[in-house]
Amino acid sequence: MNRALKMLTLAALMLAPGLALTLRAAEVLPAQSSEARALDEEIQALKKDVVDLNRDLFTLEEELLFPANTQVAVFLSMDVGEFFALDTVQLRLDNKEVTKYLYTPREAEALLKGGVQRLYLGNIKLGKHELVALFTGKGPHGDDYSRGARLNFSKTVGAKYLELKISDRQRKLQPEFEIKDWE
Amino acid sequence: MIATLLASVPPSGAAESPYALLGKGAPDFALRASTGINLRLSESRGDVVLVGFWSSRCGVCVNQFAALQVLQATYGSAGLVTLGVDVDDNQAAARDFLSALPNSFPLLMDPAKTVARLYRVDSLPLLLLIDRSGVVRHVHRDYRAGDEAGYLAQLKTLLDE
Repeated sequence: MNRALKMLTLAALMLAPGLALTLRAAEVLPAQSSEARALDEEIQALKKDVVDLNRDLFTLEEELLFPANTQVAVFLSMDVGEFFALDTVQLRLDNKEVTKYLYTPREAEALLKGGVQRLYLGNIKLGKHELVALFTGKGPHGDDYSRGARLNFSKTVGAKYLELKISDRQRKLQPEFEIKDWE
Repeated sequence: MIATLLASVPPSGAAESPYALLGKGAPDFALRASTGINLRLSESRGDVVLVGFWSSRCGVCVNQFAALQVLQATYGSAGLVTLGVDVDDNQAAARDFLSALPNSFPLLMDPAKTVARLYRVDSLPLLLLIDRSGVVRHVHRDYRAGDEAGYLAQLKTLLDE
């Protein structure tokens, strides 16, 4: 009996440090996890600051590179797209190619879902200009299809926004291409 | 045009100049694949991308192509995207070259060399490893049998990031 008591005491003594450590760890862990959470929140806040700063810098850069008085922006939108599958758009401004854009299926799909793409941003002088857009892709019967649209416009003080619009002309079962001037 | 590209290849034994785009964001591009669909590099952001520049007139390219087929087949499900860019002037020759090879990844046609210029391709083959955030992390000029072991080590590191 005495021996059994001694064994129990010995076992208790051996287990005690372990138990104490476990209890201590249980006290420390919440403290550590709250510290980690605070650190994580701090990192997230810093990341948000970086994103905000990046956006501000982007806006500033655009304002410097493309001041409103000389700015011209060309957007592209698509409506329906039953009679035309877009492949490329080539833009010529005053008889000079300014951009040629190749569309992936994902980009074309995004446009069909209502997306509007800023295709070109540049600077032009005040006065009269000509914009020509050449569209290539697949036509109503799946064959190669190429069409152009032209717009003569006048650049005045303030930014100029133009929109290339591709839509379906249901009556003629053909696609329609137009350039709109956002006055 | 290929001759122009190859003319600037450094003579053997000469120290290669460091690749200008190493450590920088990979310039975005869109090209038509041999299958007819268009592909844009930025649509693979989030994946590790291998971009290889080849030509039907480059014998070594075929061997590298085979090595990349194996890597793509093995690591495609882990987030590897391989894009081959063919810089042949002659589209028919390029198609013949490509049709003779089994392919498990898109082969893009760059006859105008716009993308080759953008990526400062000065020798063929040229292989780039682009990380998940779109930065050019490794570049390999030329190819020798066994080089794929080196590609694999770098690739695994990028896939684990």
